[in-house]
Amino acid sequence: MPATSAWRKTRRLLALAFVLTPLPVPAAAQAPYPTADRVEYVLECMRNNGGRYDYLYKCSCAIDAIAQQLSYDDYVDAAAVARYQGMAGERMGAFRDPPPLQARAARYRALQTDAKKTCDVPR
Amino acid sequence: MKQFQRSQQFKIWSLAFAALAAPALALANADVAKLTQNAKNWAMQAGNFANQRYSTLKQINRDNVKDLKVAWTFSTGVLRGHEGGPLVIGETLYIHSPFPNKVFAIDLGTQKILWKYEPKQDPTVIPVMCCDTVNRGLAYAEGKIFLQQADTHLVALDAKTGKEIWKVKNGDPKKGETNTNTPHVFKDKVITGISGGEFGVRGFVAAYDIHTGKQLWKAFSTGPDNEMLVDAAKTMTWSDGKLTPVGANSSLKTWQGDQWKIGGGTTWGWYSYDPELNLMYYGSGNPSTWNPAQRPGDNKWSMTIFARDVDSGMAKWVYQMTPHDEWDYDGVNEMVLANIKVQGKDTKALVHFDRNGFGYTLDRTNGALLVAEKYDPKVNWATHVDMKSGRPQVVARYSTRTQGPDVNTKGICPAALGTKDQQPSSFDPQTGLFYVPTNHVCMDYEPFKVEYTAGQPFVGATLSMYPAPGSHGGMGNFIAWDAGTGKIVQSKAEKFSVWSGVLTTAGGIACYGTLEGYLKCVDAKDINKELFKFKTPSGIIGNVNTWEYKGKQYVGVLSGIGGWAGIGMAAGLEGDTEGLGAVGGYKELKNYTELGGVLTVFALP
Repeated sequence: MPATSAWRKTRRLLALAFVLTPLPVPAAAQAPYPTADRVEYVLECMRNNGGRYDYLYKCSCAIDAIAQQLSYDDYVDAAAVARYQGMAGERMGAFRDPPPLQARAARYRALQTDAKKTCDVPR
Repeated sequence: MKQFQRSQQFKIWSLAFAALAAPALALANADVAKLTQNAKNWAMQAGNFANQRYSTLKQINRDNVKDLKVAWTFSTGVLRGHEGGPLVIGETLYIHSPFPNKVFAIDLGTQKILWKYEPKQDPTVIPVMCCDTVNRGLAYAEGKIFLQQADTHLVALDAKTGKEIWKVKNGDPKKGETNTNTPHVFKDKVITGISGGEFGVRGFVAAYDIHTGKQLWKAFSTGPDNEMLVDAAKTMTWSDGKLTPVGANSSLKTWQGDQWKIGGGTTWGWYSYDPELNLMYYGSGNPSTWNPAQRPGDNKWSMTIFARDVDSGMAKWVYQMTPHDEWDYDGVNEMVLANIKVQGKDTKALVHFDRNGFGYTLDRTNGALLVAEKYDPKVNWATHVDMKSGRPQVVARYSTRTQGPDVNTKGICPAALGTKDQQPSSFDPQTGLFYVPTNHVCMDYEPFKVEYTAGQPFVGATLSMYPAPGSHGGMGNFIAWDAGTGKIVQSKAEKFSVWSGVLTTAGGIACYGTLEGYLKCVDAKDINKELFKFKTPSGIIGNVNTWEYKGKQYVGVLSGIGGWAGIGMAAGLEGDTEGLGAVGGYKELKNYTELGGVLTVFALP
């Protein structure tokens, strides 16, 4: 498998509607976030912050804030894209290279940052 | 009465036969064969010798699969990508992890760990693994668990205690040789291959005695006939519309000088075995380097389907799918054996979904090419496979060789990881169809000149990838394929590539995992009917397996692709993507969760 290079500024791929239509939708109109997903988020977030019990509240606040902004399906997709962009290796190239996916991951990260800031979650 | 007599007679004869047969050989063959025939077990990574990934269990079916619930989970505690799946033998489940290749034996009754094995491996092996430090799982036979470690050690463990019985070295990581494949037990042999096509290794398969670890034969993919276990007169290949002996020096003739010595053709895929024909089947990977201008010729027998006699290792037939590879379309994907109608005729078929985007059907008894059709309509590097010569008809525009080094060839479909990578498909004898997880990704590809240094990446190409343009925008499809006609029967769009192995069952379902982390089960008769969907803790690149314990059917899948720490992490990639060396090292943050890879096991309530 090859080394993956940076995206070569090709602009012809902007029509990737399927993966890439993640604009915030009022969450209430969409499928709700399953409890298990919220708990999973909170557990990981608590652990990232040293496991202290006060982060149960702060991290719950953060996932609730995200759920206000992103439909559940968009959350699942955007979280996956953002994670896989952080991974090296050839096969993750399809997540890393296309500018629309880069933009989508960046939007998701910004949303995360905002939610954490609002809820006083440092990490 | 007559019938009674006959059956008595039969019993006596079979007893006599069993007594006469050499115990080790007969038992070894019988052990795995017997275990795989009992659907309560999942005794090989693919479920059976034929690589079908099909189970006759049907407690979970198309009507009740929607009610599946998590029965239990098990965390391996290891990050990175988790491929393969669990083995189940009787009351014990065996599961592996990526590097450092831990092995756990779990009591199905209590889900307690019975024993754990953790090999000590030199971590310097990590940078020479091209494509993450995955391991595709364990094998079992005769009370032994076989582990093929990343550092190429092949180990036999006592299945009851986890104690080492024997251990042999299969390759040399200093030369770039590593292992990711599962070992395969066929008869009294455990058969394994080698990875490292990106490091200029010379591919081979080797057979070891399951009892002692003694090497019985070794057959290279390239080089002189005697080292490839190829017989110039008896080994056949498809050429000019018929089967023809390969002739002397069939590999050497197709390389310049000594290039075959670092020629690739590695063997990290899913092998299969036909006990009646006594033949095993597997594919060889890409030739090295990736820069085709540096290795003129057909580069035989890279990119080849091999049929070998299990006892002697001699090649019965070979078929090269992608002569002179220009795109890294490794030929290692699973070889599925099925008896199906091909163009109306009952056929002992071998079906193979190659990275190059063609689905091949061959007569597995002799290697005759029967069907070669695109299983993704977007495949464009070749117009078709010429059925007379067996050669793909390459489109000059997408030929990285024609375009030449330092030219960026654009819009090639599929991308280097192929229309499908190793993630194995499934054959459902009830529908007669193959269920195939695919990539729907294209690429721009630019070869450049590289010098060979042992143990260093020998790639010579940069590329970038994106979802197939002019399609549904997603990066994958899940398809149902008719191998008798070479036609896509149904195609289900997926947002992300499907990198998980498929399971089909007599309950009429086909199950697979997705990169978002869903386990999905669809109706095998209408794959667009999604019957069950469950979000596991991470993306799924493992394979779905099933078994029965105390009257209950279970479905299990490994999830874990690495990258758990993504939430809140920066995307900084500096250095990591530059060369292959760093590929094993996913961006690992200090603050990852404790989860690691997780085996999630489902059952009906």
